[in-house]
Amino acid sequence: MPELADIQNEFLRQEIADYIERPDERARILASFVKASAPMQTIAAALIEGKNKVVDQLTREALEAGTSALEVMDDGLISAMAIVGIKFRENFIFVPEVLSCARAMKAGMAHIEPILSASGIEPIAKVIMGTVKGDLHDIGKNLCIMMLRGAGFEVIDLGVDTSPDRFLEAVETHEAPLLGMSALLTTTMPNMGRTIEAFIDADLRDKVKIMVGGAPVTQDFADEMGADGYGKDAVACVALAKKLVGAAA
Amino acid sequence: MNSRERVLAALRREPVDRTPVCNPTSVATVELMDLSDSYFPDANRDPERMARLAATSYTELGFDSIMPVFSIIQESSALGCKIQWEQKDNWPTVRMREPIYTEPDDIRIPPDFLQHPDLQCVLNAIRILRKEYGNEVAIIGKTMGPWSLGYHCFGVEPFLLMSLDDEGKTKLCLDRLKEVTIQFGLAQLEAGADALTLPDHATGDLVSGEYYARYLRDMHIEFAQRLPIPLILHICGRTVDRMGYIAETGMAAFHYDSKNDPAESMAIVKDRIALVGNINNPETLFSKGPEEVRREVYRNLDAGVNLVGPECAIPLQTTIENLKEIPLAVRDWHKEHVQ
Repeated sequence: MPELADIQNEFLRQEIADYIERPDERARILASFVKASAPMQTIAAALIEGKNKVVDQLTREALEAGTSALEVMDDGLISAMAIVGIKFRENFIFVPEVLSCARAMKAGMAHIEPILSASGIEPIAKVIMGTVKGDLHDIGKNLCIMMLRGAGFEVIDLGVDTSPDRFLEAVETHEAPLLGMSALLTTTMPNMGRTIEAFIDADLRDKVKIMVGGAPVTQDFADEMGADGYGKDAVACVALAKKLVGAAA
Repeated sequence: MNSRERVLAALRREPVDRTPVCNPTSVATVELMDLSDSYFPDANRDPERMARLAATSYTELGFDSIMPVFSIIQESSALGCKIQWEQKDNWPTVRMREPIYTEPDDIRIPPDFLQHPDLQCVLNAIRILRKEYGNEVAIIGKTMGPWSLGYHCFGVEPFLLMSLDDEGKTKLCLDRLKEVTIQFGLAQLEAGADALTLPDHATGDLVSGEYYARYLRDMHIEFAQRLPIPLILHICGRTVDRMGYIAETGMAAFHYDSKNDPAESMAIVKDRIALVGNINNPETLFSKGPEEVRREVYRNLDAGVNLVGPECAIPLQTTIENLKEIPLAVRDWHKEHVQ
């Protein structure tokens, strides 16, 4: 069983000690960092602090030194975002801080994505993502997309203000088994239900798993609308996506 | 007491004959559009239609207030933001992906700002309503706070990142944008509004209570001092971590979200500010029936909430039956609690 003292980076040790309270999450995060090399832990610490320029530089240097793109992504970036996600869920940090960390992750991913794309690794599954009709908010959706891509999904981003027809068309065109809808406004949330109804009307509901999320969305509302799952935040979205397509967590 | 007297007394936290039913944001629905023959998007741009649709909250639903400003886009439109006007079944929205500012020096309030058609529409609608209904019902206007204007004009993501990267720059932006809030607020007061809703979306889902204290508390105190009219602050999400600060701003009321327990919220604000709310929109008013609406009304009244109404602007497909249940439940609660 890994211990906190097994992690070299002092900042990471302090973050885990201060913010990761649930035993299962602490065990998982400890396990991911214990196996991470010192440079990967440094990248993770910089990401958690939102230092995008440092992450950019360290990622580049790690890749040049021969570290694999997958290792940098998993041990440096994704592991760090897991801590960020939990801090956000528990209200230790809020959206500005998450955006800052996401900006740092993007800086690292900018070096990693071209390498992964060229490597021909098969994605876990295709996911269609979009904000519902009438809603122009996309921060939460974009965070989910970033985390889904990092976790190995191929994401087709339909952007904001997405009509039920566009969701339908995208699922059919890309033969995607998974669809994610986001809404930030209580006034636009009902459009999630309308979209699900459109899939029923088109006789496509059985072909796609539908997950929903967004600040005002709850599990009860997701159930009421007939969604297959609800994710409270980007970390939960990835876990839900894996569960819905039957992938290993 | 008539409806206007009831609302204004409740906003002063004075005794009332019964708790007023109030809609500080919007209760426009598709059914009410049909009844008043006044539809989105025109009802957001034509003062006659705006007034006609707004009045249905009083004439059809039995609320004690009328709120003609259904959306939150007027000031941003006048500043130059692009607006997506939508159709009957959707709200107009600011295209925040196409921001108009990147730096504080970009902020320019046009000299003829108040003459913009979208602001004139609101001012004329208030005049029409005042003429039509005199002093029998409270007419509530709306002036957007600088934090919300920051989202609209800079884009949500750039604005929030700016708030983390550069506190001084963010405060300078807010300081310049606050004049929009003041100018449009004073104009609505002059046009005949009885109170103003001031939405400033430092929401619990986006930023912390500490952020509210750092960036907005002093500015909201300034609004309460410079706008001589009862102000109803509206912030969505869970906000108990900032209600203590909000209660000390000198504003008349706080319009609060269903994510906050009524009794817990009342215990925090005590008698320093009135609370308005907090019937859940998506899960109750939109998805459930009158019985569940009634239960939420009773929860608010049991807690001593000063004015009862939906937590925020309601989904346009909400049924009239559910909305009418709010004043019915308020009356029944008071009958059951006659001393």
